[in-house]
Amino acid sequence: MRIDPNMVPDLLQELQQSQVQLNTALQQVSTGLRVNQPSDDPTASAAMVQNTIATGDLDQYTQNVSTALSTVQTANSVLSSVVTSLNSAVSAGTEGANGTNNASDLQDLANQVQGILNSVVSAANTSVGGSYLFGGTSTATPYTADAASPTGYTYNGNDGSNSVAIGDQTSVQINLPGSQIFSAAGNSVIGSLSSLVTALKSGNSAGIETATASVDSALNYVGQQQVFYGNAEIQLNSQETFLQQDKVTLTTQASTLIGVNESTAATELSQAETDNSAALAAVAKVLPNTLLNYLEPPT
Amino acid sequence: MPDVIAMGGLNTALLIGVGGLDAAQGALDATSNNIANVNTPGYTREEAQLSELPETDSNNEISGGGVTLDGLQSIRDELLNVQINQQTSAQSAADTESSSLQQVQSYFTSTGTDVASALAAFSSSLVELSGNSSNSAAQLGVLSAGQNLAAAFNSTASGLTSAQTAANQQVPDVVSQINSLAQQIAQLNSQLAQVPAAEDGGTTQDQLDQAVQQLAGLTNISVTQTNNGETITTGSGTALVIGSQSFNLQSATGPGGQEEVLDSNGNNVTSAITGGTLGGSLNIANQVIPSFLTQLNTLASQFATEFNSAQAAGTDSNGNAGAAFFTGTSNLSSAAADISVGLTNPSQIAIGSDGSTGGNGNVANLSAALTSALPSGQSAANAYASIVFNVGTAASNASTQSTAIGDSLTQLTNQQGAVSAVNIDEETANLMRYQTAYEAASRVVSTVQVLDNAALNMGSNTSF
Repeated sequence: MRIDPNMVPDLLQELQQSQVQLNTALQQVSTGLRVNQPSDDPTASAAMVQNTIATGDLDQYTQNVSTALSTVQTANSVLSSVVTSLNSAVSAGTEGANGTNNASDLQDLANQVQGILNSVVSAANTSVGGSYLFGGTSTATPYTADAASPTGYTYNGNDGSNSVAIGDQTSVQINLPGSQIFSAAGNSVIGSLSSLVTALKSGNSAGIETATASVDSALNYVGQQQVFYGNAEIQLNSQETFLQQDKVTLTTQASTLIGVNESTAATELSQAETDNSAALAAVAKVLPNTLLNYLEPPT
Repeated sequence: MPDVIAMGGLNTALLIGVGGLDAAQGALDATSNNIANVNTPGYTREEAQLSELPETDSNNEISGGGVTLDGLQSIRDELLNVQINQQTSAQSAADTESSSLQQVQSYFTSTGTDVASALAAFSSSLVELSGNSSNSAAQLGVLSAGQNLAAAFNSTASGLTSAQTAANQQVPDVVSQINSLAQQIAQLNSQLAQVPAAEDGGTTQDQLDQAVQQLAGLTNISVTQTNNGETITTGSGTALVIGSQSFNLQSATGPGGQEEVLDSNGNNVTSAITGGTLGGSLNIANQVIPSFLTQLNTLASQFATEFNSAQAAGTDSNGNAGAAFFTGTSNLSSAAADISVGLTNPSQIAIGSDGSTGGNGNVANLSAALTSALPSGQSAANAYASIVFNVGTAASNASTQSTAIGDSLTQLTNQQGAVSAVNIDEETANLMRYQTAYEAASRVVSTVQVLDNAALNMGSNTSF
């Protein structure tokens, strides 16, 4: 059977194919990616859309966790100092109620409790990064002095709270409004301290005793509210661990989807180099050889 | 007395010798022509057609009649040509689509400015806003990420449109190439009509075959052999060439801006053109890219609506109800090209949900607009992922198809080469063979001449 004597197109095609393979292998090794464009693997490219978004979100969730953690920790330590102050106020009230104090002593105690009240109000007005920790979702200064108010202070915040996204379906509430912590009906920290000051100034032992009891009850109440921040801290810490694991999962997924197995890629590259050399050698060997090479030149 | 033996005589031997010379020379002509055209595209090797002349029978004395050169025959297989033409059309279409889709898919490759990267940046800017809602940098981050997302939609849409325009612009060029080839073929047909049916068309046939194969690369064709030469049609029977007459295709711009192909009577035959560069360009411009654009426009429009309604549910930092974040998507057919950010100031982002200035209650709604199912049934990310998948699959299919057809075309070309291509070794061997034959035939002639001389000088003293 006669065969196609023209080997050039075949050889060139083989040469071209081996060069394509060589280029692909080189690209994979140099980029570290198996998928460099959607046609390389349409399914993996589509899956990478979600992976890219999830990875970007994840980094931001991690930042949110650390921001929220610092906010919650600050609030928690502010409340701890408030509890300490309230303990001092209870001691002062107890001392004022024991009936052995003269007017001057009581005035000193009243001044001491007034000082505590001032420090509690200033704690309630703590701001972090321009936002008040205990103003609800309001940007107004939570507590301001108000002569018309029975407690001497007005709450300017609201009852709202903010939540921070720390996961795709997870968010954490990062604040309680001041109205729930410092001026709650029945357990008002500011109200009870203010009553104690008034009672100490008036010198009525029974009144001082009642006022001290209500400060004590407010103290317990603040302690209960503090649990909220403790819980938030626990949640944030565990979320941080979860996000770290999730990051590993996403990175692994991305590398499975579009990454290249380095040893496979290196093997493929060396295979492609060998194929290319072989194809070149074949072209060099075959083309010049014809019957003419073996004939005597005409005389 | 015995009969005089009527021999053929020396004259007969001389005639046979001269015939041998003619035959060897014709064969040498064919061989030298083959060698000369070894690299000529479309050349079909020739063979000298030799046949015995009838014997002469004179008084029961039979002697050979020698050889005659019937002519030079080109060695070709028309059936292979038909198959090659079909595959050429298919490959040319796949190549055209593949190269266009390579361009298209570059807009869907992760570059940092593609829609996927922009969606990711927009999503994480909203997460950041959730953690720092009163931070003006975080607010500005959302606004600029939104602008980048709109820009990514714009540039992807414009990339698709420019690929579509490029494919459309190819149509008139290819149509005019088809027309000029059709005219050329019609002319060759009329030349071939002069050649007797039994004879090979030779060079003219070579030219015709090559022109037809070029035509096959431009559009899908069907070839019928008739008494008047080859009848060539494209699409579903639209005549391009009938005998010595050619029929021009026309290109026209349709109502939607798409290119259309009309036959010589002005009928629209666009949908029947499926092969060749023309078929590939039409498919890209009229089917493939419009389908991607529709998906992208639907996504842009539905996402803008979804996000705007989340924005409308909240209040901005100025205490107003959230105004539309994205605008320009009212025209569905150009939503991706037109989408832009309507807000001018970060304070217009509807962060709060309770009317207070420090609340971030609506940020969760804004974020949810990115993950909740759009009317298409998919979230924005998944809808975009589907487009990436479709683009990638189309590009990968076109290139796989081109490779597969290329392999089969190589196979067919090899078969054609086996029949028609010039083999230098074979021609060299033939050269020696016919050289020897020529030398031997000339020896016959010179021998007869010597014998003639001898016969003429019989009885003459001078000759001995």
